Amino acid sequence: MKPALVTRADWLVIVASLALLPWLYATFWSSDDTAADKVHIIVDGKELPPISLHQDRKLTIRGSIGTSTLQIEQGRIRFVHSPCQGQQCVHSGWLSHNGEFAACLPNRIALQLSGGAARFDTFIY
Amino acid sequence: MNLPGRHLLLLTLGLLLLTGCGAARQTRIHHSQLLSFGTLVDISLWDASPEQIENAERIIHDELHAMHHDWHAWQPGPLTETNQQLRGGEWFVCPPAILPLIVQAKQLYQRSGGLFNPAIGQLVALWGFHSDTLPKGPPPPKEAIASLVARKPGMDAIVIDGQRIRSTNPAVQLDFGAFAKGYAVDRIIEKLIANGIGNAIINAGGDLRAIGRHGDRPWRIGIRNPRGPGVLAGIELSGDESVFTSGDYERFFRYRGKRYHHIIDPRTGYPARGVTSVTVIHDNAATADAAATALFVAGPEEWHPIARRMGIKYVMVVDDKGRIHMNPAMARRIQFESEQKPEVVLSKPL
Repeated sequence: MKPALVTRADWLVIVASLALLPWLYATFWSSDDTAADKVHIIVDGKELPPISLHQDRKLTIRGSIGTSTLQIEQGRIRFVHSPCQGQQCVHSGWLSHNGEFAACLPNRIALQLSGGAARFDTFIY
Repeated sequence: MNLPGRHLLLLTLGLLLLTGCGAARQTRIHHSQLLSFGTLVDISLWDASPEQIENAERIIHDELHAMHHDWHAWQPGPLTETNQQLRGGEWFVCPPAILPLIVQAKQLYQRSGGLFNPAIGQLVALWGFHSDTLPKGPPPPKEAIASLVARKPGMDAIVIDGQRIRSTNPAVQLDFGAFAKGYAVDRIIEKLIANGIGNAIINAGGDLRAIGRHGDRPWRIGIRNPRGPGVLAGIELSGDESVFTSGDYERFFRYRGKRYHHIIDPRTGYPARGVTSVTVIHDNAATADAAATALFVAGPEEWHPIARRMGIKYVMVVDDKGRIHMNPAMARRIQFESEQKPEVVLSKPL
């Protein structure tokens, strides 16, 4: 008798692999994995080296009209203080997802988050 | 091949497929930001070459320069010169950087029933919004506002004869604040297409036009919550569409607990009331920009007939009570993000 082309053990592995697929999808492909891991800060048109969001700290950045304070905490970042009138940057609140951005235009400081899978390509407001 | 070896091969092949797709996905999207002349532009390009990326950034910078220099309402330049001549009422040769804006703005003024009215520059200046810093108040005297409104500045007072124009109403002073960004975004997209870029989002300070797609899926846009952190809703765009929002949170001041924003109702001379934000989707960015302002001024009760007159097919109005007014076609495209869905008022189809 010829040996079967696909043995029972082969079927077992194929079934096990298929069963594994949802887990693989959830782990490596899931669109929920949108948490950013670094922030890119642009001051007066020049980009600073990216900064990790995984180390809590406060950043003070000198812009065109004064000093803005940024806070990084638990993978998030926000403008705590800025010398602008409108305070739109401060009102933007915490940013934590890839692609999110905020800016203090009067002080010419902008930041954008990257890393993780982007759920949105850009944001309007 | 022994059994464990064959199984290992199967699994490895499967994993390789997954990693291969992931790597391809990451390298074909280009994201960058340009802070130029007071506008933050978020650029997304799919499948663009390094040369195309460099060209795109140059095009955007040049157009923002034109917007800032040629169309500035209070810093000396072609628009302030035009306004000076319009006051005199005589015929003059309109600067070439200004004429096409006037032509398009006149059409949009007509179609909006005068609610998009870039001729009210004097009113905007009276409120103190012709300054790089925001006004602190108090609001202007009501007599001054009433006197300007009574002089009825409107785009229909501008007469065009070839390259020459004149104004039949000396109260007409142009301010393209509700229009220039959309006009500039249209010009940027035209030039990107001419440079062979077919898939892009140009997001100029929260207003955008998107062309093409993000590979095999549409572009995905997040709409920020106008009254707090987080994302209010998501929307998908493909083909060629612009999304423009007018909001009372963009430029405003508070005086004695009351909020005064920069979107002035030309009928009353006061900031338009009843609406927090209006979002419009349309293929042309300049039209979307002007319509967002016109529908903001129209308010939660009157936006529908104005949108229909302007040929707008997708509208979302957030009123001052947090209710969301939408036409059914817009409602089908909006995916709310928060678990607590806001109160939605559906209008008749547009």
